[in-house]
Amino acid sequence: MAAPTTYLEAIRQGIWEEMERNENVFILGEDVGVYGGAFKVTEGMIERFGEDRVIDTPISEAAIVGAAIGAALMGMRPIAEMQFADFIACAFDQITNFAAKCRYRWGAGVPLVIRGPSGGGIHGGPFHSQNPEMHFVHTPGLKVVAPSTAYDAKGLIKSAIRDEDPVIYFEHKFLYRRIKEELPEKEFVVPIGKADIKRSGSDISVITYGAMVHNALEAATVLAEEGIDLEVVDLRTLLPLDKERILESVKKTNKVILVHEDVRTGGIAGELAAIIAEEAFEYLDGPIMRITAPDTPVPYSPPLEEFFFPKTSDIIRVAKQLATY
Amino acid sequence: MAANVIMPQMGESIFEGTITKWLRKVGDFVKRDEPLFEISTDKVDSEIPAPASGVLSEIRVKEGETVQINTVVAVISEEGAAQPAAPQPDVASQESRNSTRLAAQPSIGKVERDEGGQTVRSSPLVRRIAKVENVDLSDLEGTGLGGRITKKDILGYLTERQKVAEVTRPMVQQVAQDMAETLQSGVDRTEVVPMSLMRKSIAEHMVASRRISAHVTTVFEVDMSRIVQLKNQHAQDFLNKEGIKLSYMPFFIRTVSEGLKEFPMLNASIVDTNIVYRKDINIGVAVALDWGLIVPVIKNADEKSFLGLARAAVDLAARARRKRLAPEDVQNGTFTITNPGVFGSLLGTPIINQPQVAILCIGAITKRPVVINDAIAIRSMAYLTLTFDHRLIDGALADQFMVSIKAKLEGWEEKLF
Amino acid sequence: MELTKETLLDMLYYMKLTREIETRIERKLYRQGKIVGGVYVGRGQEAIAVGSAIQLEKDDCICPSHRDMGAYLIRGMSPRVILAQYMGRKTGATQGKDANMHMGDMSKNIVAFVSMLADTVPVAAGVALTFKIRKQKNVVLCYFGDGATSRGDWHEGLNLASVQKVPVIFICNNNQYAYSTPIEKQMAIKDIAVRAQAYGMPGVTVDGNDILAVYEETRSAIERARGNEGPSLIECKTFRMTGHSAHDDVKYVPKHLFQEWEKKDPILRLETSLLQNKTVTEADVKRLAARIAREVDEAVTLAENDPYPEPHEALEGVYADQLAEAPLSFVDTFFSRQT
Repeated sequence: MAAPTTYLEAIRQGIWEEMERNENVFILGEDVGVYGGAFKVTEGMIERFGEDRVIDTPISEAAIVGAAIGAALMGMRPIAEMQFADFIACAFDQITNFAAKCRYRWGAGVPLVIRGPSGGGIHGGPFHSQNPEMHFVHTPGLKVVAPSTAYDAKGLIKSAIRDEDPVIYFEHKFLYRRIKEELPEKEFVVPIGKADIKRSGSDISVITYGAMVHNALEAATVLAEEGIDLEVVDLRTLLPLDKERILESVKKTNKVILVHEDVRTGGIAGELAAIIAEEAFEYLDGPIMRITAPDTPVPYSPPLEEFFFPKTSDIIRVAKQLATY
Repeated sequence: MAANVIMPQMGESIFEGTITKWLRKVGDFVKRDEPLFEISTDKVDSEIPAPASGVLSEIRVKEGETVQINTVVAVISEEGAAQPAAPQPDVASQESRNSTRLAAQPSIGKVERDEGGQTVRSSPLVRRIAKVENVDLSDLEGTGLGGRITKKDILGYLTERQKVAEVTRPMVQQVAQDMAETLQSGVDRTEVVPMSLMRKSIAEHMVASRRISAHVTTVFEVDMSRIVQLKNQHAQDFLNKEGIKLSYMPFFIRTVSEGLKEFPMLNASIVDTNIVYRKDINIGVAVALDWGLIVPVIKNADEKSFLGLARAAVDLAARARRKRLAPEDVQNGTFTITNPGVFGSLLGTPIINQPQVAILCIGAITKRPVVINDAIAIRSMAYLTLTFDHRLIDGALADQFMVSIKAKLEGWEEKLF
Repeated sequence: MELTKETLLDMLYYMKLTREIETRIERKLYRQGKIVGGVYVGRGQEAIAVGSAIQLEKDDCICPSHRDMGAYLIRGMSPRVILAQYMGRKTGATQGKDANMHMGDMSKNIVAFVSMLADTVPVAAGVALTFKIRKQKNVVLCYFGDGATSRGDWHEGLNLASVQKVPVIFICNNNQYAYSTPIEKQMAIKDIAVRAQAYGMPGVTVDGNDILAVYEETRSAIERARGNEGPSLIECKTFRMTGHSAHDDVKYVPKHLFQEWEKKDPILRLETSLLQNKTVTEADVKRLAARIAREVDEAVTLAENDPYPEPHEALEGVYADQLAEAPLSFVDTFFSRQT
């Protein structure tokens, strides 16, 4: 196996491999070419693949996505970068009204990927820390993924590029250089639409995604010493949800905590809670719990930001309470 | 003004930095904003200015060392003054802050009524199990919050409640009565310990079984050398590839399930004067516990691969020991295997697990001298005994079954994985 | 460059075919209740789509808007499919999924627009970018109205197309009104073509009702594009001879404007010119009218009798690899299991 690879490097590798594999794959976005990307995800690519395949665009998220749609309709496989996922709002119309609806309306596939760093914990403030995924989970015709490990990051970017439908790929910026793992030398992909049990357990299912997966695993380690056995379910894909895996876990442990960094109202925990309450009602041995950010924009000052984001200690506290119910 | 010099964060995703060069040394007087040291990070190399004026009284991180952002790398003191009393609070980690999270509190202390008009608190899961298992929840004591009956409570109740044949009760009660009278007379030299629920059910089940079935036992000797060799050969591989220990049990389960397909009468039950042939081959494997005995069942053993059987056996035994078996894990067995060989027993005469008609007992595998082609050889041998219900099974059939088992074990061919 | 007789006849044919189909749609089928929802025709503006699209090659691409039916017809979409589309039938271009001119077909390189007009402008830039990357000599014609040029996407699209120097021709149908908003309330400039300068591309204004002028300007622009000289903007001045849609009483347009522009009708102008220079005869014109009437009658009859899609088809086509879930699928199985 190769040396441990960071989450960021895993994404870079995944994109690179797909660019080598299929000449129709190309990248467009702000500062992606000569600069190698604001976070260096596309570093080295313009040198290898040329400026026809790594395109530095003007500041025009709507045009970046629109052009990606046009190219995808013609059979190219564009990867459009949103420098910060927060800026995806500028392309909301193109994504939700054009890209998402082409296949449904006139049978035309739009095999594009829109990717960008989301999430907080890096003192970014309201416009560099958002989790905008639910605007797109709310839009049929799109697929939305959010990996939590280097392995999943690489496997999912490859799947996203190969997918025949538009995929929004949210990479968590807090994880970029903080996590590493050894990746297999042999090629691998991670399927879209499949959740993953990151830790098998019998007492409580903690269902989450993105950076929060690591908080959940930390909590599980602490709680194991107190005899509480958490099962950590990593959604990996937010749309389409892997209902089967989720319900299987709930039916096994009978208690659920839903965790996400996104704000409370309209976050995916609400959707999951409804699915679980409807389809696994008779398997619940306790109420469904949610741990989320509050309904505010992401604040900047460190003590405010600290308050805003869910923490490992929150998961521990809620799990202990739920375990005694 | 004294100040801590920290490793700055040069970029949003950066969380560590390396000191490449100190531009001043300990004891130097430094002015605020003048270059103090140089760092290197994943993104950029940079010159870092002093945050305050004073004497560079301490360098805590050497050149070439990598530390996390916000780590104190040096201290600037007032000229002649001591170092700052306590480091600045590290704002990046405020775990001690008591922030209220927005998790809803479970509703404690509220007593709800369920459909039957009883005042029993449980949960949808518990009510479902109670309905399926015909349990009156008012019979149970809840250990959950506010006296709620939890999943653990009802599963514990069910595991300890064994199905008992009604006919044994009067007989057992009579014996119990006699014993009680005997004990009364010799009260100083005895100690009376009430039986646990599990022990009570085991006791009742054993005598009932003896009374119901016509127990006959046949003994066969099996050359296990080939299987012992296979197991030793593949044990490490198995552990590496599949993450579980390879025991002898999956070999026995496999041959028994094949044998039961060949001789389905051994997989049947007797109800009144009817023979009820069971299509499913659900093999129970007895597990000895510190506090008693339990027989978890591997359902449809004939449909599983060798690996599947190995996994199932390991999983059920582990869960049995952790008291995490579900009701369905101990129900609907059609044949049982018991393995006192692990404790050293050579040969056993087990009691049939009602309502089955046979039970296979596996003795210890020991090296013995045996005669093969008129020469003496050392082989790994084991005694296998089959206790069967002679109401249904005749000796000839039982022996045919055993011959088949023996042949399969001795000539094992199936790939393990 | 001399236009061949064939091309001139084709121009007349396509403009008249467009006019006839749209008349049936607006004045007959819609008023008969056979078409529900919105109806948007391009009466009086036919020269713009036809004069430009008629010179495209097979692998060129169009990104039309709602008043460009002539372009759809030229690229090979049949009258029957268009009429079935309007009537929401399964045989329509979108199989009932979308309405009226909201349709496309990538096998004919026709990109379907969305109601958020000007969204196709960056998309067209992307199609042209593909031609550039693949080193193809093909071009994209992107059509939009005067109102659409007020949107951000329009400006972002032109900017991206010009800085990347891609082969797209932006064709503006300036019919003076965006719904009830006259051009003076839409922008502070007189000619949309001046915007081309802001994006570093050539921009011209042309009489949108003179099909030969439209043809000529488009030809130059296409030549530039195929020669890797980048995009152009062609503003075609015309007039919207109907309301914004079939349910618009258009009281906000001064009546005299209709009368003035009637005289400049593009079909009338071409026909008169061709008759004058004897390219066609009166008999040819009569034959053409009869042929078009027959084709459209046939198409209408077939489309009227085409089936509607099945209700459950509403769940199909969201993704390549899975169906949408019917909202009540769990409820039914759950309760049937209870008994």
